[in-house]
Amino acid sequence: MEYILTAESLGKQYGHFKALDGFSIHVPKGAIYGFAGKNGAGKTTLIRLVCGLQEPTSGSYTLYDSKNTDPGIAKCRRRMGAVVETPSIYLDMSAEDNLKEQYRIIGLPSFEDIPELLRLVGLGNTGKKKAKNFSLGMKQRLGIAIALAGSPDFLILDEPVNGLDPQGIIEMRELILKLNREKQITFLISSHILDELSRLATHYGFIDSGHMVKEMSAKELDAACRKCIRVQVSDIRALTRVLDEMGFEYNIFSDTMADIFAKVNISQLTLALAEQGCDIISLTEREESLESFYVNLIGGGNRNE
Amino acid sequence: MSRLLSADFAKLKKNKFFWLCMAGMAVFALFMKIMDYVSMREYSGSVPSFESLLLIYALVIGFLMAAFVSLFVGTEYSDGTIRNKLIIGHTRVSIYLSNLITCFAAGVMMCLAYLIPALAVSALLCRSDSTDFRMLLLMILYSFVLTFAYTSLYTLAGMICQNKALTAVITILVICFFSVASIYISAKLNEPETYPEISALADGRTVTSARQVPNPGYVRGTQREVYQFLNDFLPTGQSVILTRGDTEASTPLLPVYSACIAVAASGIGIFIFRKQDIK
Repeated sequence: MEYILTAESLGKQYGHFKALDGFSIHVPKGAIYGFAGKNGAGKTTLIRLVCGLQEPTSGSYTLYDSKNTDPGIAKCRRRMGAVVETPSIYLDMSAEDNLKEQYRIIGLPSFEDIPELLRLVGLGNTGKKKAKNFSLGMKQRLGIAIALAGSPDFLILDEPVNGLDPQGIIEMRELILKLNREKQITFLISSHILDELSRLATHYGFIDSGHMVKEMSAKELDAACRKCIRVQVSDIRALTRVLDEMGFEYNIFSDTMADIFAKVNISQLTLALAEQGCDIISLTEREESLESFYVNLIGGGNRNE
Repeated sequence: MSRLLSADFAKLKKNKFFWLCMAGMAVFALFMKIMDYVSMREYSGSVPSFESLLLIYALVIGFLMAAFVSLFVGTEYSDGTIRNKLIIGHTRVSIYLSNLITCFAAGVMMCLAYLIPALAVSALLCRSDSTDFRMLLLMILYSFVLTFAYTSLYTLAGMICQNKALTAVITILVICFFSVASIYISAKLNEPETYPEISALADGRTVTSARQVPNPGYVRGTQREVYQFLNDFLPTGQSVILTRGDTEASTPLLPVYSACIAVAASGIGIFIFRKQDIK
């Protein structure tokens, strides 16, 4: 798999506080990578490091095959855009002037794509209105438009739906999905709003106390959170034979236990197993939400960071 | 860095405070020169000299630049736009230098905003028979180097302090403190070594005798050398010298001191800024 961003044993320390400690991440090309974690888990610290706003204390990261210590990393950064915490916009300027300023910083010779870029983020009709008079959603979209100047193929968004109203959240989600599908932009989106991430992400990374707890694809997460029947039996081989005959999807995870991902007729299953001389010891219906999966994953509770 | 300069100059062009300072300097120049002319005509019947009050902006520019640089550079932090420059891959040195150059250019333009109307009024209303134009030109050039020293010091403060309001407060307080100190030093250095003896008579009249008595307030020896050095070295001291139009005190060392301050401040600023964590 081709990765846009990877990190190994990355560390960042502020005084005695370790914001990142032995951190690793793998962001595949073309993915919408949902970067989930509690407040203060280290999400923004990683983003600051990747954006070159801060230097790691230990370890390294690789952006488009360039290590953070390579002089060529500056060139690689021209292919990425980011909105870190709050949108970085001149409040005393209009949306168009903000984009013109960014075009000059990048060194783009012509301003002719600016109206199209403003339309893309839904700010086509703002005219001479200054950014300080924009709503939070409009500021967020202008921040994204600035990050999109220069046509990056990797966009980092730090808590993009924070403070947005429901309509703003829907618009932001649609914009991200549109950019990912139509322009093949890879996204790294940090958020602690899991429900929102689950509507977007193709890959997930769960961070806690500066460590990457688990990285997985959306498919793996769906499987982990799927509705199933957990069954404990005396003979697991007999169970697999019966389930294969019935054509059910299942997952065996111990000598006696398996998850069955189908609507099962319990009487039929019990009879079929009895014919094979296999007893059912226990049988429970399970459905894990993303939140409960996350809480189980990071251990919940302890917020004394 | 040309891309950053282009962006920073475009930002300067749209900066309201910059245009307010420019207008303020022009109005200040016209007010000072015309009032000087009116008062000279009224009280002595003559006209002021060409260079009178021509370099008073050297004192004002220190205060003006303190506010301007703090706001101009501080906006990069308060609006978070410095991140856009770093994310896109610009080096910290070029970001620092671009801000420094833009602010210096703004400072020179503010000086010119005073000088041009002031020179126009001088040309129209003042006498130029005793004016040393070569010296005047040199002092104007000295004032530009001095503006560079001020800009470098304020850029240092603005780039390493990520709080715009705090930067503005610190720079304005520092310039106030050093201005008062420099005015005090200048006053001490300009004390006469002796003064004529004055006697008060019983009927309330005074008599001035021809005898000169030593002035106890006159600074001598090492203390005088230290005061002299501080007066020449400190930017606020140089401002006082230029404002007074003190041609004797305007030695070629003044721009050398200013250049040293500018280089040292920029070197320290770049060194710290390169290591600094940006939020």
